[in-house]
Amino acid sequence: MSPAPGFEQWLAPAPASAGGRLDWLQTQRAAARLSVAAQGVPGTKQEAWRYTSLSRLLEQGFVPAVEPVTLRPEALEPRLIPELDAYRVVLVNGRFVPGLSALEGLPPGVRVGSLAELLATDPDALKDRLNAVAGPDQSLFTALNTAGLDDGLVAIMGPGVCLPRPIELIHLSVGAAAPLLAQPRHLVVLETGAQAHLIERYVGLTDGLYCTNSVLEVMLGADAVLEHQRVQLESPKAFHLAALYVRLGAASNYRCINIAVGAAWARTDLRVRFTGEDAVCDLQGLYLVGERQLLDIHLDVDHQVPRCRSREYFKGILYGKGRAVFDGRVHVARDAQQTDAAMTNRNLVLCEGAEIDTKPQLEIEADDVKCSHGTTVGELDPEQLFYLRSRGIGAPLARRMLCLGFAAEVLDALGPEALRMHVAEEVGHRLEQAT
Amino acid sequence: MLSVKGLKAKVGEKEILKGLDLEIGRGEVHAIMGPNGSGKSTLAHVLSGRDGYTVTGGSATFDGQDLLALTPEERAHLGLFLAFQYPVELPGVNNTYFLKAALNAIRTARGQPELDAVAFMRLMKERLKVLHLDDSLLKRPVNFGFSGGEKKRNEIFQMALLEPKLAILDETDSGLDIDALRIVADGVNALRNPERSVILVTHYQRLLDYIQPDYVHVLAQGQIIRSGGKSLALELEEKGYGWLGIEEAA
Ligand SMILES: Nc1ncnc2c1ncn2[C@@H]1O[C@H](COP(=O)(O)OP(=O)(O)OP(=O)(O)O)[C@@H](O)[C@H]1O
Ligand SMILES: [Mg+2]
Repeated sequence: MSPAPGFEQWLAPAPASAGGRLDWLQTQRAAARLSVAAQGVPGTKQEAWRYTSLSRLLEQGFVPAVEPVTLRPEALEPRLIPELDAYRVVLVNGRFVPGLSALEGLPPGVRVGSLAELLATDPDALKDRLNAVAGPDQSLFTALNTAGLDDGLVAIMGPGVCLPRPIELIHLSVGAAAPLLAQPRHLVVLETGAQAHLIERYVGLTDGLYCTNSVLEVMLGADAVLEHQRVQLESPKAFHLAALYVRLGAASNYRCINIAVGAAWARTDLRVRFTGEDAVCDLQGLYLVGERQLLDIHLDVDHQVPRCRSREYFKGILYGKGRAVFDGRVHVARDAQQTDAAMTNRNLVLCEGAEIDTKPQLEIEADDVKCSHGTTVGELDPEQLFYLRSRGIGAPLARRMLCLGFAAEVLDALGPEALRMHVAEEVGHRLEQAT
Repeated sequence: MLSVKGLKAKVGEKEILKGLDLEIGRGEVHAIMGPNGSGKSTLAHVLSGRDGYTVTGGSATFDGQDLLALTPEERAHLGLFLAFQYPVELPGVNNTYFLKAALNAIRTARGQPELDAVAFMRLMKERLKVLHLDDSLLKRPVNFGFSGGEKKRNEIFQMALLEPKLAILDETDSGLDIDALRIVADGVNALRNPERSVILVTHYQRLLDYIQPDYVHVLAQGQIIRSGGKSLALELEEKGYGWLGIEEAA
């Protein structure tokens, strides 16, 4: 079978990809290649791609980034958050760069670092974990990522370990003559009772054209707690795909805040599956979509077992000719009694050219549940605008203040304070163009 | 300072102000009374530049400038301030940040340097005390979840901070308890000086015991139909509006 037209380049194997001698990994890669070929290029008729066509992505001719990039630490500085005290893992074009990372002082029972390195030194720690949450039937871009699986972040917390500082993953894209593709693959495992905080940040070093196709698998054991914040601030020309697969054990707690501001074309797929009772999942998101931007958010929260609770709360600000899709699905299986789920999507549309398609869905098979969903699409309130202007505040600043006020609910949930300030500032800058 | 001549304004097809005249001199306090729906808030809104009204005739000048040609923020920069009858809640907009943005916007427009954080906090603390406001209100979103009385006091607090030349207080006394009324009145009186004028829109004589007006006007059916001194308010309190030949409510 030949690869789908358009993705041949993506499947070109890296000359020396990690774990090349591992049979199990080669089997996974090969299966993924077959899956890519079998899926072909989805058109807009396929449900998951109902709103967006892939042709724009394919036209760019992205090629996998294979050359390692050497960067002086100073080059990274403008992208750092100086006050943020964290274990830092830096990937450049999808590859771990030890010289830019800072991993001193990790407590015992914790492994944080490069996936490629761990594949070389202790592949058995990964054998039953890689692709365990994403599963064998992978969607197109996850299969592409698996086929090219090479490097990324790996974080494994042993039972009961409580990480004292956040892990900060910085994924930096650095341009080249040809538009590059990076496919980082991340794995986060928290064993029973472990606690950690993960911050993912996606940034470009320049305003260039590139593509990031990232996959993150998260496995939470019983009673584990993961605080996760994902900040997508890619360059304005970039293409960004993110698939997050989360599996929640009994009484575990997963809290995720998803900030999407950058990229010309971005898509996030967030799949959460409850596999143990009494677990809690709190997903929040904020997206800003402006001129020449297209954003897709797909949520798939699957309540398979009783007494779990999920919250999906996403807010969006649209302006210019920005276009976004919010496609949220919460599924409650027949046995998942006493599920408590609430999904909300609120949108602020600043001008006529901007557009949001919002489609929250509840699929409930159990009968003793508490589930709700709600959507709003609105404009700035003229009363509020007048109130601010009557106090001497000019119209552009007044609009920005109201937008930030709308976003505050999600922004204020970010922590630590240094991260919150950084993101609020970036959002503020973006809103300057919008208002 | 403010000169309104033959002002006519419509909301949609409905004419609300029907040729209104009003002259406010420097340092004067004018009370405007009148039945519900007579156009008092409409006048305040038209003067401060709110959207949704069409001025179909007349003029309003402020310190010689054509007020009606200016944006709401430009009017604020000139020194006009409206304390809203129904202050607007701004969820997610921090009160301190809002006040600082407002004060610095006005200062910048007047060619004054912006206040730094320290100087601003000092000024704010000082003005808070005058209005007996709890400083926890500063950390909250503007008016969001404030009680009715807190909202009204927050309006007067903003006025104290922004030091306007002409303040229009639209029923600031409504919904205040007796102590709060006194505090608000003290706040307004503290601001009185020969350069500063106030328009008090009110239904109650009581406020005028605390803030002595120089003039009292009756606005009915879109016009000022009677003007007088303080005694006019007492007369209205006693007799209602009927004796002026108008209906009690619109
Ligand atoms: N947006 C609007 N659409 C339609 N009618 C309006 C609108 N705004 C005001 N009006 C009408 O204009 C008239 C005057 O209203 P206004 O609020 O100015 O009265 P007021 O004198 O302030 O009354 P009150 O003492 O009750 O505050 C009322 O009949 C009111 O219903
Ligand atoms: Mg009124």
